[in-house]
Amino acid sequence: MMQHYPILAIMTYFLGAFLIVIFGKNRTVRNAVGFLATAVPLCLLITLVKPVMMGGDIIAYWMGGRVPAGGYAIGIALEVDALSLFFGLLVATAVFAAMLYSFSYMSHDDNEPQYYTLFLMLCGGVMGLVLSGDLFNMFIMVEILTFAAVALTAFRNSVFGALEAAFKYLVVGSIGSSCILAGTIMLYAQAHTLNFAQLSAMIPGNLNLATTVAYALLFIGFCTKAFLVPFHPLAADAHGAAPAPVSVLISGVLTKSGLYGIIRLTYILFRTMNLGTVQFWLVFLGSVSMFVCVTMALAQHDFKRLLAFHSISQIGYVLTAAGLATALGVSAGLYHAMNHTLFKGLLFLCAGAVLHETGTTDLDKLGGLSKKMPHTTVLFLVGAFSISGIPPFNGFASKWLIYQAAYQKGVESGNIGFLLVTICCLVTSTLTLASFVKVTQSVFFGQLPKEYENVREVSFGMRLAMGLLALLCIVTGLFPGLVTTFLTEPAARAVFGANHYINAMMGAGYAESFGLADMLPVSFYSAGVWSPISWLCLLMIMLLAVAIVAVSSKYDQVSALAKTAAAAEAAAVAGPRYGSGSPAEGKYELFFGGEESVYSQVGGDDMFWGFKHNWRHYFSFMHNLHSGIVNDYALWAVIALALAMLYAMIIL
Amino acid sequence: MTIVMDGLRYLAYILIFPGFLFCFLTGMLLCGIDRKLVARMQKRIGPPILQPFYDFFKLLGKETIVPAAANRTVFLLAPLVGLAAQVVLQLFIPVFHFNAFRGVADVIVILYLLLIPALSVILGAASSGSPYAGVGLSREMVTVLSVELPLVLVLLAVAKTVGNALGTGLCFSLTDIVNYQIANGSLLTRLSMLPAAAAMLLIIPGETGSHPFDAAEAETEICEGMLAEYSGAPLAVYKLSHAVKLLTMTSLFVALFLGGIGGGVMTLLSGLSPAAAGAIGLVLEILILFLLCVVLVAVCVSLLHAVTARLRIEQLFKYYWTVVTGLAAVSVVLAWYGL
Amino acid sequence: MILINYLASFFLIVLGLYCIVTKYDLLKSVIGLSIIDYGVNLLIITIGFNPGGTAPIFSFGELNPESFFVDPIPQALTLTSIVIGACVTAMSLSLVIKIREMYGTTDTHEIRRLRG
Repeated sequence: MMQHYPILAIMTYFLGAFLIVIFGKNRTVRNAVGFLATAVPLCLLITLVKPVMMGGDIIAYWMGGRVPAGGYAIGIALEVDALSLFFGLLVATAVFAAMLYSFSYMSHDDNEPQYYTLFLMLCGGVMGLVLSGDLFNMFIMVEILTFAAVALTAFRNSVFGALEAAFKYLVVGSIGSSCILAGTIMLYAQAHTLNFAQLSAMIPGNLNLATTVAYALLFIGFCTKAFLVPFHPLAADAHGAAPAPVSVLISGVLTKSGLYGIIRLTYILFRTMNLGTVQFWLVFLGSVSMFVCVTMALAQHDFKRLLAFHSISQIGYVLTAAGLATALGVSAGLYHAMNHTLFKGLLFLCAGAVLHETGTTDLDKLGGLSKKMPHTTVLFLVGAFSISGIPPFNGFASKWLIYQAAYQKGVESGNIGFLLVTICCLVTSTLTLASFVKVTQSVFFGQLPKEYENVREVSFGMRLAMGLLALLCIVTGLFPGLVTTFLTEPAARAVFGANHYINAMMGAGYAESFGLADMLPVSFYSAGVWSPISWLCLLMIMLLAVAIVAVSSKYDQVSALAKTAAAAEAAAVAGPRYGSGSPAEGKYELFFGGEESVYSQVGGDDMFWGFKHNWRHYFSFMHNLHSGIVNDYALWAVIALALAMLYAMIIL
Repeated sequence: MTIVMDGLRYLAYILIFPGFLFCFLTGMLLCGIDRKLVARMQKRIGPPILQPFYDFFKLLGKETIVPAAANRTVFLLAPLVGLAAQVVLQLFIPVFHFNAFRGVADVIVILYLLLIPALSVILGAASSGSPYAGVGLSREMVTVLSVELPLVLVLLAVAKTVGNALGTGLCFSLTDIVNYQIANGSLLTRLSMLPAAAAMLLIIPGETGSHPFDAAEAETEICEGMLAEYSGAPLAVYKLSHAVKLLTMTSLFVALFLGGIGGGVMTLLSGLSPAAAGAIGLVLEILILFLLCVVLVAVCVSLLHAVTARLRIEQLFKYYWTVVTGLAAVSVVLAWYGL
Repeated sequence: MILINYLASFFLIVLGLYCIVTKYDLLKSVIGLSIIDYGVNLLIITIGFNPGGTAPIFSFGELNPESFFVDPIPQALTLTSIVIGACVTAMSLSLVIKIREMYGTTDTHEIRRLRG
């Protein structure tokens, strides 16, 4: 029975999509179908955790029962090892939360059935991609998800830039998809099979020019899906225009599919990760993505664009960690990938909540929403602390492991470059914090503009989805031991234990018949001991402090006093005591900066003047570079492709 | 039973030593000494050394005003969170032989914990809705950014030097770093660590926001910036936080570079019984730590305060990312090649 | 014979990329995408082609080790890929129509509201 779960998980999404096309006119039916179609795969995958993650099983499903014969895999397979299941779980969780959120978020749009159809198609595409064991099947899933993502980006086509973003994404995304197809077919020409297990047995020993080019093509193809550095403007454009739940899917789910592809390709399919040059390639790409995107994020004025750049920055962390090719590094990278899905999903949903209530995400226009939307503010702060790596939230746990992995790798290899990577990671983390301080100040704190006086808290359904993700952020931060034991370490073992995977699919002894040995002994040595005791102490102290305050109940009296004082003061200012003029033209306003409703927001562009002034040449250079012309982005893609091919030919 | 004992022990750590009480007394004393020293350097008489205590208790009795534009919860909670994080940070820094939390005292944890007090001030300021606070918090964030890079480099340099010596390649544990120094002499005596120590000396005033790196709370210019709207008890808590930060940063310096001094104390007491030696040693070590902190405050906070004028925020950033980072980087490179 | 096919597919892919990179018109970009697609399709077909082979259509028992036929899998892949290519074209053309309605032009240098 167990081996049917993966195909059921994929097909539930597609079935849901088709059912909504047929019966989607009725709101209740539509929501019920949407809920079930996202909840069922999540449950199915959770039941797989025990055998796959803890038991180390690999679930193989051959469509139509066509099992391999004579050492050749003819049928189409679904192959679920710990790595696939790990990404599958991420996808299912993020999708479930986004679906919950959509119910009320999208209720004001027309064409709702089409939205849910595309939404579920996208989910099915990603789920199919990560669970698939067949290269061409993977390509088809890539096309499905690209299509659905483009259509969803342009879904609100009256939104500023939505069409433009969708078109750019379609052009560069199609170039990426064509790369994947060309790479797939070149591998087929060499190995006459499309099955992952068989390919990963045959390819590593038989690298030639054709497979090398295929490697570069597939790599660039998956880079476009993960929006790594030459492709990052597309992510920013697409996120800015898409509805918030779709942004969650694009950043939390779609980029993960690209990452999954890269890890699968480099570690298992080609087994190139024991080469220092390939490690350098991945780490370099990851570090550049990390740094460039975080600086781009600092310069943004739009909430969602800013989040989009951060998204790629965090993907850079994951790729860097995965490129270290140590067990600790891979485990840390996957941990961060999981955390990224959770906190970035949460942040995008918060941005969506702000957009839903105020109608804008422009940082220069917003302000002071914390009084109107207190729950959203708290949830946003949880997400912001998580992404900035503030202990005890989950971002800290994974970043901490990444620093250790990078530094340890540097010490082991004696290469000072890895030290630079560690430093780059740490500085990027602080820059991330800086830009989230900017968002916090510009959106939730500061002064409330007049036109947002009537803003209300978002509906319960939306808060429930955000709360779910926030809870997961805190839980995975407080109990990192559970996460590493049950999720990331099995996945890292699967990454390094490709032979087990091949043999499970193709029959025992198949991998050894090609003379393949597993890459590295897997060790999860980490320099420090992660112990939540310190965080429990922190919580204790905070509780103590709050308790003291509550017992003394001083603040309550004081606040009552303060209120009357403030009211009296406001009345005084508004009253005729300071002359005949209205407060708007009163000359005393200056002295009541915090009290009066003078709109003097510090935020947006001038927020980090001291920092930007020193980097002004860099920022203006980057601004000019991201010209918004689709030809330029296509040119970057072509250059990246050419460089990747060249580099692959030199090193392999 | 042991759980209860452990619980009580941790409670004692948190509340008495090296937790709240110790931080409160020592931090405030350091603050008072700093003010006195600056005054003497400027040929003033200056306030009594206990003045910070008086200020603190007086502020506690004052009325707390929450601005109308502020978010009450965050505005009032932020100082407490900041203070709590600051005290937790102090728990992680070993006092020579004494460790409240062995094993978790990791330099990266400390790096991130150092962010929390700054972040709490920033959030508190942001929630107040005041434009002065807005300017102040943007500067504070840039200050944090500026200090972060050299601080990372200093910590990595120390971690690498000790790691080399211990043969593990890297040593992130602050406990091990101090123990190594107790056994083999202070790191400050090494040539390769001198630039890092100098960088750290320049980082301390940046972290604590004293002259010339106090653009974030420039009193004369933006009315104390982030604290502009605070009054009464929350302000007292911030003042306390700031005082504890002085202690934390200087004792971090002691742990990183001067840990070896603790070794001498124990050899002096070698004739006594272990229990007595432990108790007397601890008291002596606390005294030594305090004296060292006073010296450090005198050198890098008071002296700089007395002789320099405030830097503009972009000058501050540039200074940290060029001069101080350069110093720390020299140390890292030297340490990396085992010099 | 086969070599010409490979060269042609390579040429088509490069031509498509060239078109996308240098032509400042949305429609021409779409044409470029299609050309890349054709190039890849030609590549797939060429890989599966065996000179002199028969069509891969057999009934039960007819297949024996001596049968010489072209590889059927690439042909199936090509069919899928053609369908996908048509979808890409349709989708991008519909986007172009909407963009034209909204921006009043199809010049890529005008359509750059999102940048920086």
